[in-house]
Amino acid sequence: MPNPPAAEILDAELETLLARAGIRLPDLRRDAVRAAYADLRGQIALLHGRYGPAAEPANVFRLSPAEDK
Amino acid sequence: MDTQDLSIAEMGRALRAGAVSAELLARDALARVAARDPALMAFVLVTESRALADARRADYELRAGRDRGPMHGIPYALKDIYDTAGIRTTCHSKLRIDNVPAEDSVVAAKLTEAGGVLLGKLATHEFAIGGPSFDLPFPPARNPWNPAHITGGSSSGSGAAVAARMVRMAMGSDTGGSIRGPAAWCGLAGIKPTYGRVSRRGVFPLSWTLDHCGPLTRSVEDAAITLQVLAGHDPHDPASADVAVPDYRADLERGVSRLRIGVPRAFFATAPAAAPEVLAAIDRTISLLRDEGAAVEDIQLPDYALFAAAGRVIMMPEAFAIHEADMQSRLADYGEITANRFVLGAAVTAVDYINALRARRDLTDAVNAALGRYDALLTASALAPAPRFDAPVDSLASASPMQTIPFNVTGHPAMSVPVGLAPNGLPLSVQIVGRPFDEAMVFRIARAVEQVTGWEDVALPAFAA
Repeated sequence: MPNPPAAEILDAELETLLARAGIRLPDLRRDAVRAAYADLRGQIALLHGRYGPAAEPANVFRLSPAEDK
Repeated sequence: MDTQDLSIAEMGRALRAGAVSAELLARDALARVAARDPALMAFVLVTESRALADARRADYELRAGRDRGPMHGIPYALKDIYDTAGIRTTCHSKLRIDNVPAEDSVVAAKLTEAGGVLLGKLATHEFAIGGPSFDLPFPPARNPWNPAHITGGSSSGSGAAVAARMVRMAMGSDTGGSIRGPAAWCGLAGIKPTYGRVSRRGVFPLSWTLDHCGPLTRSVEDAAITLQVLAGHDPHDPASADVAVPDYRADLERGVSRLRIGVPRAFFATAPAAAPEVLAAIDRTISLLRDEGAAVEDIQLPDYALFAAAGRVIMMPEAFAIHEADMQSRLADYGEITANRFVLGAAVTAVDYINALRARRDLTDAVNAALGRYDALLTASALAPAPRFDAPVDSLASASPMQTIPFNVTGHPAMSVPVGLAPNGLPLSVQIVGRPFDEAMVFRIARAVEQVTGWEDVALPAFAA
């Protein structure tokens, strides 16, 4: 993922994602959430583009054969 | 005798010798709660009648020859996200203000079975994430070392209650540092056991793959005694590990001679928020451990920022998934800090989450590799002493002063242990990290730290004296 986009694009992105999730944020809280989102977006960016196809996520699981009771 | 200055082991010996009764211990603790808690707000509910009933039963059983072990007759309290049958469990939230569980959490049940005396339910950041806040049904707990300062969270009441000598042990939970943070800032021992070591069943979740249950205590030995009661497999908790539980006190006093301890110095030494007194306390602790014969060496781990990013990107959508329906329909009933944090979970995409899980595997492998060469790691718990209420910090932000979330991501056991006081009189600490399920080694090193740093001789806050 490239560097985080400009503030207005981040705002629009956040609005879209929250609307998709059915969240209506009071106007008074928007600035605080925008700032936190910008910070989170930076953390998200750190994790993109680091891993190739063989890098499996931690939730890949292993089954065991059923044991005789 | 001030019974609250007795360790859990000492209380047990006094009980069995007949020098004190469980009822006396409970009444002493209740009196201290009545005197101290109006200023500290550690408790959201004091269960006095339950405590006295538990205590009388403990006394009766000891007289009758039934000894339930080291927690028999010992007062304790629970963070208010632990279900307690017939006792209100609110998560410090308007949304669950009338919630009265029908069953105990596994932890509560185990402590009852062990003969513990439940004193009450403790303040928490709302749903173990939103705080300190003044827009919730209960006020935030205050730090007994200086009530103008926060305790850290989210196990805020647990930190305050133990530091103010109301109880020797209080249960916390730790998703990004919520046991180790309050322990660090309140001058306590606090262990986040290995993921899967203690059942989470009946504890309100924040983030299923990061949540851990553990105690905050006055001493490392108290923590070892408590974890002995709590650890073990629960087939009804999908994360619970079926791994044998050793005797946590067997090696507690063996010291650190010939142990190898790795220090991921870049985690804290280059962090902008690192306070000089924290760095000095870590270096002093390392020097003292070397004097005791430990080999302490700097090591390299992946960048701290990757651990923090993975933790937050995993936590936020897991938390949002838990709260989605209430966030859509009752957003105004959440505290502002809680809501502002939870909504971020809606902004994390599936690819973001999967990438964080890929990082988690990679980072866990890196910590395991380091622990293949060292018996344990030593790092900071927090980069600065407890901040004031009027200078709050976001413990999840990239600039967080907490250094705890890496081991929620990787699941390794990690413990905060106090090492001294900052010039402003607030506690300083270090964090010990062990191999998976090797809490015994974490306790052993933490016990040595407690001794060599002289923490045992540090006077508790004047407020609580």
